[in-house]
Amino acid sequence: MISEGGNAHLPLCVMICSIGPVDPFVRDQVAECVSCQCRLPCRFSPEMTTPAYAFDEKRQQYNSKLILRYLMDLNHRSLRFLAVTQLDLFVPILKYVFGLAQIEGQCAIISTYRLRPEYYGHAPNPALFMERVKKTALHELGHTMGLTHCRDRRCIMHSATTIEDTDVKRARFCPTCHEIFKWQLEQYVS
Amino acid sequence: MPKREKKESMKIVPPGKKKCVWMEAGVVSYKLCDNNYDCPTCVYDHAMQTKVDRQKEAALTRPIEASPDQFTHSWVDKMMRLPASKRKCRYMITGEVDRKICPNAYECGTCSFDRMMQQRLQAEPLPVKTPAEVAGFELADGFYYHEGHTWARPEYGGRVRVGLDDFAQKLVGRLKRIDLPHIGHQLNQGETGFTVTRNGDTVGVLSPVDGIVSRVNDKILNNPELINRSPYEQGWLMIIEPTKLRKNLKGLYYGEEASSHIQAEKDRLFEVANEEFRMAADGGESVEDISGEMEGEAWVKLAKTFLRSQ
Repeated sequence: MISEGGNAHLPLCVMICSIGPVDPFVRDQVAECVSCQCRLPCRFSPEMTTPAYAFDEKRQQYNSKLILRYLMDLNHRSLRFLAVTQLDLFVPILKYVFGLAQIEGQCAIISTYRLRPEYYGHAPNPALFMERVKKTALHELGHTMGLTHCRDRRCIMHSATTIEDTDVKRARFCPTCHEIFKWQLEQYVS
Repeated sequence: MPKREKKESMKIVPPGKKKCVWMEAGVVSYKLCDNNYDCPTCVYDHAMQTKVDRQKEAALTRPIEASPDQFTHSWVDKMMRLPASKRKCRYMITGEVDRKICPNAYECGTCSFDRMMQQRLQAEPLPVKTPAEVAGFELADGFYYHEGHTWARPEYGGRVRVGLDDFAQKLVGRLKRIDLPHIGHQLNQGETGFTVTRNGDTVGVLSPVDGIVSRVNDKILNNPELINRSPYEQGWLMIIEPTKLRKNLKGLYYGEEASSHIQAEKDRLFEVANEEFRMAADGGESVEDISGEMEGEAWVKLAKTFLRSQ
């Protein structure tokens, strides 16, 4: 189900791409999670270089909106394009973001920078870190399928302002969001 | 038939509720305060005062034989004979003073101590519990929120303190000037109550309640930064003597409703600020100065959109 490189015969898939260096294990885990939860095959595209154009000197962070805009201008041969980076991302009105996605669009990006327990002064915890990465990836993918924020705190589509909110969520959609996600996917298939 | 002795039954006062001053004084057996200790505007208090006046008149025109069960003295005389434990001042009941015995037979409207307390309490805001964080914005507990991002806090004595919520102060950012109405000015809920100015651009802000302005916070006129530093305490804007408080409060957000409103506003803010294409973010507290990211027309548009002003 998970393969390296592009495949023009399989548009109904999620392309996963690293922006800047990303641990391949993280990338693989994201792919496995997406395949398992969304029933969508994943493929990997070659790593992109660190986006110097999006670096904000004043904030010492990367503007995720500019990166998303750049990704949107590329020609993707996949249903969805999910970028993974370990850069610290922001949008102008927010101090930081864990991820950003087009609503009912093709592209999304997630950042692992603020998902590591070490960032909050805690001991390293690879399992917790991976859980957060998967939740963020599913959340952004949900947006690309037209889902908006859900009021259910346990649903993956609930808006997380802080990392505690992410930890409260489960790594799956609530029944309503799941129904919508499935229906949207069926629209693409049909 | 022998007269049955009247037994004092135990009345339970629900947690968070407070006894009416007439119950405190033992004049009535059970009555909880439902008017925020605003005795001068309380219908029950008026009725009781009228009853007392009628008793006074009756006592003057048709003196009756003294008996322990009848109203033989004027209310003030009777009141003054009550033990101190039954004459707690309303400011003692509400915890605003440690110890004060009512000196005026609960006729708060003509009480000098009451007037002094009103002046003192208006000048200083009541302390606020650490505000909860909702969607990256602080929300103070026990406050009522208007959709135009002002808050109203009914305080004991009937006054309502008003200010800008954390969402609004981050949205409008560092203000150059704030123009508050004069004392005595009539405000209406949902209509422009005052204006905020930044970089020469002015936007109106809606009043959360109907009423007359009785005091403005002079400190913020010279130091508008207080609104940014302490929106729920030191940055309060004015005090209003409400005219339709009960009706007005029904139109404001409170508790869980206020949290849902702020969450929805954050999502909407994200949409408005990024209207070039539809997108959504996960994570992220708001920057301290949202408007710092946009100036001129963009600031006016954003402020008007969320403050719901024209």
